[in-house]
Amino acid sequence: MTQAEIKLCSLLLQEHFGEIVEKIGVHLIRTGSQPLRVIAHDTGASLDQVKKALCVLIQHNLVIYQVHRRGVVEYEAQCSRVLRMLRYPRYIYTAKTLYSDTGELIVEELLLNGKMTMSAVVKKVADRLTETMEDGKTMDYSEVSNTFVRLADTHFVQRCPWVPVTENSDPGPPPPAPILVISEKDMYLVPKLSLIGKGKRRRSSDEDAAGEPKAKRPKHGTDHKEPIPDDGIYWQANLDRFHQHFRDQAIVSAVANRMDQTSSEIVRTMLRMSEITTPSSAPFTQPLSSNEIFRSLPVGYNVSKQVLDQYLTLLADDPLEFVGKSGDSGGGMYVINLHKALGSLATATLESVVQERFGSRCARIFRLVLQKKHLEQKQVEDFAMIPAKEAKDMLYKMLSENFMSLQEIPKTPDHAPSRTFYLYTVNILSAARMLLHRCYKSIANLIERRQFETKENKRLLEKSQRVEAILASMQATGAEDAQLQEIEEMITAPERQQLETLKRNVNKLDASEIQVDETIFLLESYIESTMKRQ
Amino acid sequence: MAGNKGRGRAAYTFNIEAVGFGRGEKLPDVVLKPPPLFPDTDYKPVPLKAGEGEEYMLALKQELRETMKRMPYYLETPEEKPDIERYSKRYMKVYKEEWIPDWRRLPREMMPRKKYKTGPKPQKAKTTGKGASLTNTADVLKKIEELEKRGDGEKSDEENEEKEGSKEKSKEGDDDEDDDAAEQEEYDEEEQEEENDYINSYFEDGDDFGADSDDNMDEATY
Repeated sequence: MTQAEIKLCSLLLQEHFGEIVEKIGVHLIRTGSQPLRVIAHDTGASLDQVKKALCVLIQHNLVIYQVHRRGVVEYEAQCSRVLRMLRYPRYIYTAKTLYSDTGELIVEELLLNGKMTMSAVVKKVADRLTETMEDGKTMDYSEVSNTFVRLADTHFVQRCPWVPVTENSDPGPPPPAPILVISEKDMYLVPKLSLIGKGKRRRSSDEDAAGEPKAKRPKHGTDHKEPIPDDGIYWQANLDRFHQHFRDQAIVSAVANRMDQTSSEIVRTMLRMSEITTPSSAPFTQPLSSNEIFRSLPVGYNVSKQVLDQYLTLLADDPLEFVGKSGDSGGGMYVINLHKALGSLATATLESVVQERFGSRCARIFRLVLQKKHLEQKQVEDFAMIPAKEAKDMLYKMLSENFMSLQEIPKTPDHAPSRTFYLYTVNILSAARMLLHRCYKSIANLIERRQFETKENKRLLEKSQRVEAILASMQATGAEDAQLQEIEEMITAPERQQLETLKRNVNKLDASEIQVDETIFLLESYIESTMKRQ
Repeated sequence: MAGNKGRGRAAYTFNIEAVGFGRGEKLPDVVLKPPPLFPDTDYKPVPLKAGEGEEYMLALKQELRETMKRMPYYLETPEEKPDIERYSKRYMKVYKEEWIPDWRRLPREMMPRKKYKTGPKPQKAKTTGKGASLTNTADVLKKIEELEKRGDGEKSDEENEEKEGSKEKSKEGDDDEDDDAAEQEEYDEEEQEEENDYINSYFEDGDDFGADSDDNMDEATY
């Protein structure tokens, strides 16, 4: 793990789980797989704290454990999974667009809690939805269950591995840690539950149980009145499926930008048809015949068969090679080149970065070298039609920032510099890696700056929160306008200005984090796809 | 070495013209300090994407941040005890739900073993400790005796030693609750025997005193 990744993980863990978990998590990421005692000794934390932190991390799928020889259990942190925490808002928003508010809340609960049983999720989501509904209306459990089942069917949520129920025939000592298994076919199997009920509002008075002081609630949470029907069956959000969806979205929007709406719809249809047949890491989808595509186009899209064929031919001939023709049967067999598409997207990202950092002339040189693969300095000046001095300057700038690299071709065996060709080339994989590393650094800087801004104005923020609380309570008890005015004036105008500026800055920093994460997703997908093919 | 034309004469091994400096021209000064922390950029960054989706995600992000702080998974750092206990602190405590992980899914060493813990949360520790050990229905009487001895207020090395000893034993494999408790009890009695001159079994059953308080009790044992 690079230093930038570790720093970013540390910031994310600290923001979401506190300092203790951050200390343990970062230690595990740095040092790899370790047993419990060693972690406690190395971090200086008490054994109890380490245990609690590990429980939290395991619950959120950030740490896995393995039983080694002699019964020693070792814990390993998943750095890449920690970095996924940046993407939680995007996952939740996607669920909202696909399955509306119910789906959004289900995914949110699963992400916030790591793993949950289906009944727990349904109950919580129903309660939350009921809160937002009008008085008197409640959310039925069955509706939430239906959405949950749909999410499971489309693989957006999956079951966690569980302890296999074995016959207790061996009298030996129980293993130090349970071995969790899961089989492919069980992963999306929804248990047959009959969840009957409605969501409850927090302030409903028909429940005396709610009136009980919370301190009396038993410490051991297993004292429920009814046994949980699906005890032990935990669900988690399936991040890979979301990534597949994001990738499809990126490809469709790229086609829409390059060509037009109709071609993007065709590509979207093709991707939708291959969702189930193609594994997400395949370099290209299964071949689809033109007839099938015609039948699967969305209803209301009045595109005739001939027009569809023309579009497909156009897409297949495009130099970007998103769509390829793999045969002629069935009116023409077409595939989507996923790997090539990701490569094009990564290259476009690189080009855009060069353009925004160094100018459009530099971008022209960059694209030129990309196209021609290897070019000498003189050739670059000639082809790009840029004066020699400027071209040299730009080439060296890009070289020093590692967007380009030099390839030496010696003429003589002693590699004398005056008798060696130096060719400029762009290695997309290494440039993508370099850019990814920079993205991690950027987000770490953004988070640090946001924390700094918030800390600077902590006093002011607390004051404004107190004033708001006072205002709210006074409005609830029905105060006059004059009194409210007086309270509001507790915050002076310059302070209000300061608060406004702070809010604007924090919003900007947050929005930047989300956008940098989109770039990270593209680059990571491309790198992963390339590594799988090697 | 080939290429060393004139002895001691400065000669470039490559064509200096190619790099952009004319022959005999003064080369630029060597930079002797680190680059500036915030260098000026020639090109200002492009404005951020702004749309309905982006705004919604922004609001979600900020909400999630706040929600996570209130979840039971957010472990607060234990503060050192302030010199004066502030009155307002009692009323500013945010109520957090307890979260109990599913122990069946976790390695056994994760379970808290708080039989003799005398940390900042005495009540919870004792109940968990009692709860775990009381599942061992055989030796309730012995347990009560144990608790009374604990009420002597001796948080000394012996107890820590016992804790360590018991932990080590439990790590060695056979980790039956019974064996554990029995071993600790035996160890306990042996150790505690030295503390006072009274026969341990002299104590009556009903008097479960001092088990809940953690203070250093100076009262003598009976």
